[in-house]
Amino acid sequence: MSFWRKVLLLEIVDGLKLTFKKMVSAKPVTIEYYDKVRPKPYSGFRGRHALVRDDKTGDTICIGCLRCVKVCPAKCIHIETEVDKAAKRKKVVKYEIDALRCIFCGYCEEVCPVNAIVLTEWYEYVGLTRDDLYFDKEKLLQNWDEFIAQQDRPYFNPFWKPRGIPIERLPKRKREFKGV
Amino acid sequence: MEGLLWEIIKLVIAGLILMIISVLHVAYLTYAERKIVARMQQRLGPNRVGPRGLLQPIADMLKLLTKELIVPYNVDKPIFYLAPFISLVCGATSLALIPLWKTFVLSNINVGILFVLALSSLSAYGIVLSGWSSNSRYAFLGGIRSGAQVISYEIAMGISLLTVVLMAGSMNLQDIVMAQVHSVFKIYLIPQIIAFFVFMVSAVAECNRTPFDLPEAENELVAGYFVEYSGMRFALFYLAEYFGMIVMSALAVTCFLGGWAGPFEVPFIPCFWFLIKIYALLFFYIWIRATLPRYRYDQLMDLGWKILIPLSLANLFVTALIKLII
Repeated sequence: MSFWRKVLLLEIVDGLKLTFKKMVSAKPVTIEYYDKVRPKPYSGFRGRHALVRDDKTGDTICIGCLRCVKVCPAKCIHIETEVDKAAKRKKVVKYEIDALRCIFCGYCEEVCPVNAIVLTEWYEYVGLTRDDLYFDKEKLLQNWDEFIAQQDRPYFNPFWKPRGIPIERLPKRKREFKGV
Repeated sequence: MEGLLWEIIKLVIAGLILMIISVLHVAYLTYAERKIVARMQQRLGPNRVGPRGLLQPIADMLKLLTKELIVPYNVDKPIFYLAPFISLVCGATSLALIPLWKTFVLSNINVGILFVLALSSLSAYGIVLSGWSSNSRYAFLGGIRSGAQVISYEIAMGISLLTVVLMAGSMNLQDIVMAQVHSVFKIYLIPQIIAFFVFMVSAVAECNRTPFDLPEAENELVAGYFVEYSGMRFALFYLAEYFGMIVMSALAVTCFLGGWAGPFEVPFIPCFWFLIKIYALLFFYIWIRATLPRYRYDQLMDLGWKILIPLSLANLFVTALIKLII
């Protein structure tokens, strides 16, 4: 550094000028979450789990194939099914997701052949106890109702049609799904 | 007797008012510092507690009051309890000597500058004693380093204030301000720019502020010499640091910037110009904190002994020579 620059502390003066300029003219980069700004996540954001409600029966679309149970890396989905002898169909008795174990990978919604389970874009949920975040079937359906009430139709989650798999290999209902 | 009692009562009330105002100033100085440093770093400061965060110091004070006062094992109890008070008292008492406006000095003693320098020397005791009595090796080292820093920079500070005394001809602070008002330059900043620079750098080092805050280093060693203190005692050390800032700024304003004198009179606030000048200097302190990185300890001691003392001595000699000739 030149002698005068050192003696007159011009480097320090440059620094002072920069901070003064920042104070006067720069806009703060703080995001004032919750009071002023609630960011809306991108489409397909993996948030709270929900079971899609079937309009005709009022219950889930789930056919009890147990694919989501097998593919879940964290083994957080627990299902019990029984055969309904009258209608000759499988009925889902218990469908529970332990959200605290879940790693939010989205494999369950990618693999489901009927697009029954979905990770919605709802991220502002809390639980005061561990039980609050152990979702059973009713809670999951309720999650869906809350979520779909504030979405515009038709709602189609991008993970329902996973990329990377040629379209002929997908199950029929998944291939032709157009959204809720 | 009647007159004396009345005088004493007036003095006590004036002292109380001054104390309350200065404590409020210190509390809001912490708020101002957080806000200003935040804005300089392109973020918002505290803005939740009151409107725009104005009640933040009160929230801080309440929090510190309700914290548990932990006393570590095997400390030297009397000194441990006493050290924060030494720091605070030595920092804050100097405020009584500063002339606030033309007719008001709380205590108009004839050796004002000497008294202020003596009190700032005594505050070194508070630091070293707190470091030693904490019975913790890092606090001890921090205390020693900080004590060494404080006494090194006091020398430069004293010599630079001596030049002001030379020019004014008296150590009484009110007389110094009057001498500035009647002098050719109006403020002693212009003829004594080197002394002002040395004084400001020494003042920043005396208060253990960035860039000289290695003994305290909030981001590195948690708090240096007052690491073992908690709750209200920590608050006292913290207040003592900010009181030191205000007292040093007030001293700089009185000696170099013309005290309470200003170009025109403001009708209802007699101490208007004094406050404006103090606020400008405090802003400068905070501005420097937001800008500069920290000095290493050996660089710090180099600066104090090898640069500031020779500079202030040279300034003293030149001033004395000019005073002799003219």
